[in-house]
Amino acid sequence: MDEITSVFIQESREQLAEMEAGLLRLEQNPDDHDNINGIFRAAHTIKGGSGVIECHFIEAFTHRVENLLDALRNNELAVSPPLATLLLECCDHMVSLIDVLAAEGEAPDADLGAKGDALTERLKGFLDGIGQPAEASANSELAVQDSTVEVESSGGGIVLTDSWHISVRFGENVLRGGMDPLSFIRYLASLGEILGIQTITDAMPVAAEMDPESCYIGFEIQLQTRSSKADIERVFDFVREDCDLRILPPNSKLSEYIKHIQELPEDTMRLGEILVRCGALTQAEVDQGLSEQKSSVEHAQPGDPTAASQLGQILVDHKVVHKEIVDAAVVKQAQVNDKKAKDARLVRVQADKLDQLIDLVGELVIAGASANLLAQKSKQVDLVEATSVLSRLVENIRDSALQLRMVQIGDTFTRFNRVVRDVSKELGKEIDLVISGAETELDKTVVEKIGDPLMHLVRNSLDHGIEPTALRLERGKPACGRVALNAYHDSGSIVIEISDDGGGLNKEKITAKALERGIIQAGETLSETEVVNLIFEPGFSTVDKVSNLSGRGVGMDVVRRNIQALRGAVDVASVEGEGTTFTIRLPLTLAIIDGFLVGVDKAAYVIPLDTVVECIELKNLPSDRNFMNLRGEALPFIRLRELFEIPGDAPPRESIVVVQFAGQRAGIVVDQLMGEFQTVIKPLGAMFRHLRGIGGSTILGSGEVALILDVAALVQTVTHSEQQLLPGRSHAAPAALSSNQFTQH
Amino acid sequence: MKTIFLVDDSATILLSISNILTKAGYATEKAANAEEALRKLRTGIKIDLLITDLNMPGMNGIELIKEVRKLPAYKFVPILFLTTESQQSRKLEAKAAGASGWIVKPATADELLNTIKLVVR
Repeated sequence: MDEITSVFIQESREQLAEMEAGLLRLEQNPDDHDNINGIFRAAHTIKGGSGVIECHFIEAFTHRVENLLDALRNNELAVSPPLATLLLECCDHMVSLIDVLAAEGEAPDADLGAKGDALTERLKGFLDGIGQPAEASANSELAVQDSTVEVESSGGGIVLTDSWHISVRFGENVLRGGMDPLSFIRYLASLGEILGIQTITDAMPVAAEMDPESCYIGFEIQLQTRSSKADIERVFDFVREDCDLRILPPNSKLSEYIKHIQELPEDTMRLGEILVRCGALTQAEVDQGLSEQKSSVEHAQPGDPTAASQLGQILVDHKVVHKEIVDAAVVKQAQVNDKKAKDARLVRVQADKLDQLIDLVGELVIAGASANLLAQKSKQVDLVEATSVLSRLVENIRDSALQLRMVQIGDTFTRFNRVVRDVSKELGKEIDLVISGAETELDKTVVEKIGDPLMHLVRNSLDHGIEPTALRLERGKPACGRVALNAYHDSGSIVIEISDDGGGLNKEKITAKALERGIIQAGETLSETEVVNLIFEPGFSTVDKVSNLSGRGVGMDVVRRNIQALRGAVDVASVEGEGTTFTIRLPLTLAIIDGFLVGVDKAAYVIPLDTVVECIELKNLPSDRNFMNLRGEALPFIRLRELFEIPGDAPPRESIVVVQFAGQRAGIVVDQLMGEFQTVIKPLGAMFRHLRGIGGSTILGSGEVALILDVAALVQTVTHSEQQLLPGRSHAAPAALSSNQFTQH
Repeated sequence: MKTIFLVDDSATILLSISNILTKAGYATEKAANAEEALRKLRTGIKIDLLITDLNMPGMNGIELIKEVRKLPAYKFVPILFLTTESQQSRKLEAKAAGASGWIVKPATADELLNTIKLVVR
């Protein structure tokens, strides 16, 4: 695919997203003229681009859509729900057409073609309604009037010449319009041969009054060419309103020349001379012509009708010009006032190039660490100093490079406006989508991959969460349901919440279903949190009827797996009758993190620094239980040595790294603390996917491999094992575990 | 080499025109909106022609032309605008703002280059 096409595809997708957002706003706010203009502009840009890349199926369809939008823009049509729906469908269709182009298809397949035809018919329906033919405005370019006025012959001999005579007097503003009068002469010369030319400077005022920025000159030109009058006129297109142009074809009658001379502002006799000089006429012809003209004027009525009408025409023309310029100025003023400067300084970069940069920065970080290590070993103070400056810079480069990949989640969120609109219509429910935290940034890769799980959760909220309107009213809730999307940063993660004010999850039903499906065993006691989170188990579905929206019983399981694949976690909290909140936690980036290096035996491990709260050195940890008293709070902990079954005895002094994830604290017991370390995350091979507690690997400055701990999984393991030590206790435990347990400690 | 400054919010148009111009031996500068264009011009870059779209988000082409004409260095630089709208008022408005001429989209490479030849000194 060539570069232009791929640029077009990317641009069109962006424009379509904007168009869709605009159309959704249109329903709420039908009179927002800026918005309608924006929608029109999006369609217009796509049409223009498709013309450039000669993709005619997109161009043709978009052209029809544009016509309708144009009518809307000109207030020939009013916004109505069916119209908005149609335009949204057209928008979807255009997305499909772009997909066809992206797949390098020649034309849409039969299905898509039929869909396009159906939409075209409906578009026509609307346009016919206002009496405008569907193909209007396309050809209006041709309607530009040909201002050629046939010169009326009024006797006199024919001037035998095969060349055109052109008289042009430039208006004062020609220079200010950035035009060079000479350029017209040059251009005329490209049409044929200039046989004679005279510069007319009669309009030039005296030096004191002359404005050097104004143009005062004109030309009399004798041109030999095969071009038509229209071609010659076209040369002066850009100054047509601003200059006085007269063209006489070859072999014109002498009288026409004379009339021509008389209509020009300069003195008749002088002009006669000039025409002679530039070879248009001979002196004899001028004399003869002028005397003939004189006599005929004497015979004619005062105010020759032909001359008068032409002059009148010119005057009218001038008036029209003035009026339009005034009108335009008024329109202009209004536009300036409500201008919203969307001042985005953007550079488009291919994602691959960014990835390459990040990879290189990753290597740089590793190489830097290695240099650092060697410097320290060498014990040369200067060298240590130099490398530490270097690594600080590397750190800055790393942060800036990663920042390049960060995008706002807002675009992903706004996509759901449409989903909520369509689905709520389909379900016959009234639902509002509330978006907050749209400016929260996260890694581009994460944004791309979070779309699907998010879609599932939102649809789930719409379908299962929000109750039917009747039921809502019965429960004393507002008829209009509310689904909220929110995003924010929290200790090195980004948190995305999807909440609804619907019926909430029915815990009894979930328990019953889980028993029935064999997900839990009878007699198992589960906390409320555990019960509601059962919905993420494979094969779980509480809705008996499978709708086409969600509820095939695979959804939630897949959602969780997708999110875990991004090193994230999802859980759900629900209050029956009041609503449900899904919380997704994702790492900010997938490439390089700040790590905290710890050691157990000879191996090194990395704990993501964002999760580390504090480090404590302890001489004798309790060996019989897995929690300790940390300033009056219960802190469950886990020994890495035990978890990873590392042989050998623990040193007398161990350290605890206190980590926090999703509001849950836990301690990780290690042999030694080795400090901060920039960690380039290298994914583990497929063989190690099932390993719990390890999220990836990295390479140390020494070239050794260190494993990155998956804090989320560890915290879960810790709290789980701690519960097993306290059988029968409710599970709200770790935080709530009463401190009196510890007074004995 | 003559430098032509292109301003259009459509990346497709920007790329296609600059390809044609580069092939024809012109150097190009590009901006995706009027604000960016003004910022570049205020740094005093040397251009022989400015080609701008009229219909752009934010500041539109006509406002851009007016602003450019206020900059002394670009007072007499030829400015062409891209238009598909045949409406005479739009053309006149742009001319009144200080444009030299226009290019009707879609234009063939020849039409484009011929028009440029007319205005580039």
